[in-house]
Amino acid sequence: MSDRWVDQLSDYLDGELPANERVALEAHLQTCDDCSEVLDQLRQVVAQARTLGGVPPRRDLWAGIAQRIGATPGRKAAGELAFRPRAPRRWSFSIPQLAAAAIALMTLSGGSVWLLRGPASPGPVATMVPQPTGPVPAINTAVRGAVGGTDSYAQAVADLERVLATGRGQLDSTTVRVIEQNLAAIDRAIAQAQAALKADPSNLYLNSHLAETMRRKLDLLRQAAALASVS
Amino acid sequence: MTELSLEAATLESEQTGRTDPDAVDATLAASGDGTAFERLYRRHISRIYGLARRMITDDDIDEVTQDVFVRAWQKLATFRGESAFGTWLHRLAINVILGRRETLGIRRKRYLDSDAMLELIPARRPGPETALDFESAMARLPDGAREVFVLHDVEGYRHEEIAEMLGLATGTSKSQLHRARMALRQHLDR
Amino acid sequence: MLLTLITGTLAFTAPQQIDTSLAVARGQRLEVNSYGGEIVVRAWNRNTVRIEGNSSAQDRLDITSSATTVSVRTQGRHGPPSEIRLTISAPPWMALTLSGVHTDVKVEGSVAPVTVETVEGDVRVAGGDGLISLRSVQGSVALRGAKGRISVNSVNEGVEVTRSTGDITAGTVNGEISLDQVDASTVDANTVNGDIIYNGPIRNGGRYAFSTHNGDVTLTVAEGTNASVAVSTFNGDFESEFPVPISGTRKGKGFNFTLGNGSSQVTLESFQGTIELIRPGGEKAREIERDRQHERQEERDHDRD
Repeated sequence: MSDRWVDQLSDYLDGELPANERVALEAHLQTCDDCSEVLDQLRQVVAQARTLGGVPPRRDLWAGIAQRIGATPGRKAAGELAFRPRAPRRWSFSIPQLAAAAIALMTLSGGSVWLLRGPASPGPVATMVPQPTGPVPAINTAVRGAVGGTDSYAQAVADLERVLATGRGQLDSTTVRVIEQNLAAIDRAIAQAQAALKADPSNLYLNSHLAETMRRKLDLLRQAAALASVS
Repeated sequence: MTELSLEAATLESEQTGRTDPDAVDATLAASGDGTAFERLYRRHISRIYGLARRMITDDDIDEVTQDVFVRAWQKLATFRGESAFGTWLHRLAINVILGRRETLGIRRKRYLDSDAMLELIPARRPGPETALDFESAMARLPDGAREVFVLHDVEGYRHEEIAEMLGLATGTSKSQLHRARMALRQHLDR
Repeated sequence: MLLTLITGTLAFTAPQQIDTSLAVARGQRLEVNSYGGEIVVRAWNRNTVRIEGNSSAQDRLDITSSATTVSVRTQGRHGPPSEIRLTISAPPWMALTLSGVHTDVKVEGSVAPVTVETVEGDVRVAGGDGLISLRSVQGSVALRGAKGRISVNSVNEGVEVTRSTGDITAGTVNGEISLDQVDASTVDANTVNGDIIYNGPIRNGGRYAFSTHNGDVTLTVAEGTNASVAVSTFNGDFESEFPVPISGTRKGKGFNFTLGNGSSQVTLESFQGTIELIRPGGEKAREIERDRQHERQEERDHDRD
């Protein structure tokens, strides 16, 4: 039976129908006994499914499991290993700086895509507007300013994006697209790391992973800006 | 007090005096305590076995259930305690159960249309109905539809989660669920 | 990504066939810059550089030679140069710096430092000794038979190092990293979206860092390996083909363990993928090798077309 009303009944039951379709279906149900009956039956199927509970195995499975994991009752651990210090990172941020930097970065990165495409839609931050006159900042100064902290990182990103905006005509459109897509991929990773960090701010892995991912964004911007400024 | 009992006690006080036995035993078991792991097993075996029994029709359910707990033991070190242990174990069980199949090609054939589905389930015979009838009917659904039905209606996962677990589009998950429910209407226990 | 090449004859322009050779002396390096097309450098045992190429009448090939450098550059008379296939034979001791934009680059037989930079091309290098730096934005990078300080980078595609020794830095954003049959004491492999596969010995005292955000990390660990291993993940899994002596958990998202005397440092990080340890010659290793053979065959078939 493939009836467009009946086909919607499960979604309706589960609250998955958009409002306009729900209203239309409810109107139909007022007049259609067959559909109302099917709906009742579906409700009962769901209700019955919900009553299905756990089922104990017919025989005890523990012995087999214990043998496979080699667990003997009552064995205690040897004691925790001391936390091993990680290899020093090339990029250091203090932990509170990272959270702030990530927020600044996300604000900026919304603008960076806009910059690469050109001012088709208004950017969110006024400082992103490319300067029509004046010297284009050399890449080296932007990079040098990048080591150290939130403000200089944000500044470096802004500088590079300005260089990119000015020189984007140098780049092939497919190159621009690829760079944008990869910047977006890095932004997504940054956002995920940032979200994870909010729940667990002192997690050392998450902090260093966020810093490393932000550095990757800077590297990519630097690379793109270098390409764009070749005359 | 040993180091581990200290940690267990810390867990207890962290949760404002109420002890979550799963959290305590998970920490102990992650450090190699087999007795603690057995306690976890006893507390959760029925739910896991029920899940396995409903998801699997073509394999040794006992063995797969054991696989689940063996895998849980191996991965306990990575249980982060963000979700409840039972939730984590349940997800792991689904991964183990679904991971048994190798090729996606086989899985694709599991999603039949509703007409084909109705043919698989024999017409209801008159006679005294028992709860087993509904579960037998479930067992006769094509694998894909049954998995969606079990995960959604029995186990309570959302379509987005199911789609991700089974590698489907959300829309496919919804339509498979609908077809499973339609096919099972005839086999409701009265 | 292979772009259309200019063939021998064009109906509307008289092509220039270039074939020129110059004598070179030890200490000279070769620099080639070609905006589009292909740069192929093959080693031969003569102290001569031979440059062959086809270019349209709109383009110029500038070849200069100084005490330190033989330089080959394409120039367009009107706008950027069109695509040129440059085939260069050079002595194996000549250091190479090859660059372009829409340029594929291929090097064979070098035993010298090699630097390649392209934007929209693939890089294929067989050989290289010393400082080896290969970079593309949109293309893939593959290096084999190299020795030295190796750096392979792409943005959008994968990077691969095979049968090479030295220190290896491998990075990409969107692609995967494959380090196969490499003998390295220092490895730094970093990707955002892709998987990382490492198949090589883990040397005592070495440092090995593997980091991905979305992908999996698969590390081959031979028996008898000495390593202090730190595994970190936010949402991922850990699997191992052999028992791993986890004797403690860090509060948070990771754990450590020691193999043997722990003399090397191994860092395995995946934000949400699977970190997996496999044995050489084991089931997973064989599967990976089968996939590699398959890919190599596909690439050979593709090159033939």
